[in-house]
Order: sequence, then C-alpha cells, then structure tokens
Amino acid sequence: MSSSDDADGLSEGLAVLISGIVGIVVALAAVWYVTGLGDASTEELYRIDLTTGGGELTGVGADWTAGNTDPLLDLLVALTHAADVLMGAFILLMLFVHWGAFRRLASRMQEPKRSPSEEGVAADGGQRTDGPKSTPSEGSGGDRE
Amino acid sequence: MTSLDHGKFTRVTTYFHTLLALDVFLLFFTGYSVMFNDELWWMVEFMGGNASVLAIHRLAGFALIALTVFWVTLLLIGPGRRKNFRAAMPSRGDTEAFIQDVKFVLGRADERHPNARQFAGYESDEVPLLSYIGKGVLWIFTVELVLLMVSGLLIWNKVGLSEFYQSKAVVMGFVTFHGLLGVIMLMGVMFHIFEHGFHPAFYPVEMKAFIAKDAMPEHEDQDDDEDHEGTGIERLSLRPSWGLASNIMGGAVAIGIVSVLLASIFDEGYPVPRELAVGGGPANLLLTVGVNIGVFVLLVGLVLSTYGNVLRSRYESQREREEVAAADGGEPVDDD
Repeated sequence: MSSSDDADGLSEGLAVLISGIVGIVVALAAVWYVTGLGDASTEELYRIDLTTGGGELTGVGADWTAGNTDPLLDLLVALTHAADVLMGAFILLMLFVHWGAFRRLASRMQEPKRSPSEEGVAADGGQRTDGPKSTPSEGSGGDRE
Repeated sequence: MTSLDHGKFTRVTTYFHTLLALDVFLLFFTGYSVMFNDELWWMVEFMGGNASVLAIHRLAGFALIALTVFWVTLLLIGPGRRKNFRAAMPSRGDTEAFIQDVKFVLGRADERHPNARQFAGYESDEVPLLSYIGKGVLWIFTVELVLLMVSGLLIWNKVGLSEFYQSKAVVMGFVTFHGLLGVIMLMGVMFHIFEHGFHPAFYPVEMKAFIAKDAMPEHEDQDDDEDHEGTGIERLSLRPSWGLASNIMGGAVAIGIVSVLLASIFDEGYPVPRELAVGGGPANLLLTVGVNIGVFVLLVGLVLSTYGNVLRSRYESQREREEVAAADGGEPVDDD
C-alpha cells in the first residue's frame, strides 16, 4: 500500500464512519428533494390539454397516446429492451461456459468420499465401526469412553 | 491442503457485500413481483399486498442509495482503497481470460487463465483481486445502480413527474424503463449465484466475499516450500451432492434467465395502454413456471449468502479458540 493511496491518512474506522454519514445524508436529501417536487394541486396538473395527430385526438385518450409516443421515452425503452436481450444472451453464454468449466474441473477432483452417515450409523441407532479396535486385554466390560 | 484464494477483501467489503445482497434481493422480490404480476401475483399477496410491497421497495431503495453513496465515498477516502479502483479496471488479460475460458470448456486449454480462476490453490499469488467476471459484475452493477437510482428517484413522486411532463402515460413509461433496466441485473445476479455457489471446489458457497483478509492465517500450508504444478485441485474431493445440485441449479438459472427476459418483453407495461390490456401479453403457464424458477434461484442465493455468514462466524470463533489455546502456551490443536 503506497502512501499516496492513503488520502488524508484516514483510518479505516473513521473513513467508514464518514462514508456512512455521507451515504445517509445524500439518500435523505435525494428523497426529500424528489418528494418536494410538484404538489398535488390540480391547478398545476394538466393545465394544457394534450392533443396528438395535429389536434385530431383530444381528451383522456390523447394523454395516453401522447405519453406512448413520446419519442425520447420510446427510444429509451427500445434501447433498454435491446440491452436486456444482448446482455441476456451474453450472460447465458457465460453461464454455459462456467457450467462446462466447473464440470471439467470437477472431473479432476477426487471422487466423493462416503458420507459419515453411510458408515457411521447402524440400524439400532448405535455407531457402526470397522470392527473391534480394542485389544483382548481391554476387551471386557461395558460402555467405555 | 488450504488455498488462500479468499482473504482478498477487507472486513468492511465483506459486510458491505452482504448488506448490498440483502438489499438487492429485497428490491428484486418487491419490484419484480409487481412488474411480473401475471407470474408472481402470489408474492405480492404473500408480502402484504400492493401498498405494502411498494412501501418495502421504497425503503429498500432508500437503503440502496445510502449503501451506494457510502461505498463510493469510502473508495475515495478510505485507506488504500484507490489502488483497488485501479485493480478493477478492465485489462487485456480479461479478454484473454474470456477466450481461454471458452477454450477450456472446449478442451483446447489445460487451465483457466489466472484472471478467470476462482480456485487458485497453489497458484493463488497469480490471481488478481477480481476475476474478469468479477470486474464485469462490478462495472455492470455500477452503471445499472446509477441508472436505477436516478429513474427510481424520478418515479418516487409520480405527481411531481406527471406535472413536469403533463402526462400520466409518460410517468408509466419511466416506471417501465426502471423495471426493464433492472432485468440485466436480475439475470446477472442469477449467474453470480451459480458462479460462486456451484464451483466444485467451493460448493455450496465460495467464501471469498465472507472471510476477510484480517481473518486469514499468515501461514497455514506446511507444503509452502514445495514446488507444485498446477492449482492442486486434484487433491480435493468432490462433495457427493455436487453433480446433481450443480445440474439442477445450472438448469434453473438458464430457465430463469430466459423466462425473465421473455417476461420483460411481454409484461413491459409500457406502452401497455396502447391496447389497454393491463398486465400485457400472453400470460401462459410455461412463462409463469419459468419466472417462478427464476425467483427460486434468487431465494437460493439469499440462503447461500446467509449460509456464507454462518460459516464466517463459525470459522472466526474456531480461530479465536485456537488463538486462546496458543496464548496459554500450548500449541493450537489440529483436530480433524
């Protein structure tokens, strides 16, 4: 870590604290600003009745049509659809590449070991072992640790 | 054997990743249950109806702005953070890594490129902070988050926006734009879950984003001095359930991606009012099943993210016990 990277020599804790405060303040300010935009006064809303088709269509339907045919929004939506499809195809390709790579890597790994449950539990609920491990001299007596 | 593949992220980064993941999952569940209402109507009901879902979406949106601004600020003022910014820049090696990945799958390359390698094992020194996929995720997230936050803030107050444009339909257009933008992230997150949950060496979850640098041991591998060929992945044994689980999840991710992509075209909502058909498009059974499989993938991601944190906490308490044992004068016992 070079010293030029340590802007102002802030410690990690202080940097986190400042960043946290900045984050919350900016989020609050952004929401406060957008909720303050416009009031619900009908005086302000729809002062001008929209018309489309050179004034042929007016009234409620005209509002929908005008919104639908807003060229900038139409373009944005079309671009986003295109971006979705392109990125979707690319992400699918990456998925299949990784799926294939994972299968190839897995084939290099060792076969799964038997799970403990397969070798550890006997039908009576006790533990199955590979056979008695005790020597004859220790072999008598009941349960031992 | 151990690999020091993880331990590249700081503690703050790992916590940030978890919080961002939780927040983004919440935004997906609330946002897409509204946008894909034809297919996910039950989720809206489950989360308490439309008003409640949108209230949660706004709260999560607020948290997203706070988290993102926090992160950008930290990148600028945090100690040693700016070099991470440079490490996240796309490089020539990333293109090579992509090409080599394709070759690797086709059997024309023996190893994955260092810029693609998730499991590096003995060769972890060669592996950069972020793989080419990691850089892609970071940059796509950055662009998407900025656009989503701006469009989200614009539609926060629909009265204000409709006053500005003097049109309700334009406001609906912005809502659609916002929803369509998130589709890229939705598909990307599904892939991200597969990539980091179903790597054979790490399955069921790669700990890179959970165990921080400072929690990694200085030396853990007694074989350090020996010279090794390759990553050493052949010394690891596969988990018994990996084959089935990775195939099911791979299939579910593919179906999920295709379904949400199709649903985003059919259910775009704008310009829905051209036909005044609310919900838009053919609501067919296959699409409904597919989109729900996509949501299932997200749910698996949420569970794996939580599981990663459980493992982190288990790992850290284990390390603490070992350190206490060593501080007593004894040797830390390796009891496996």
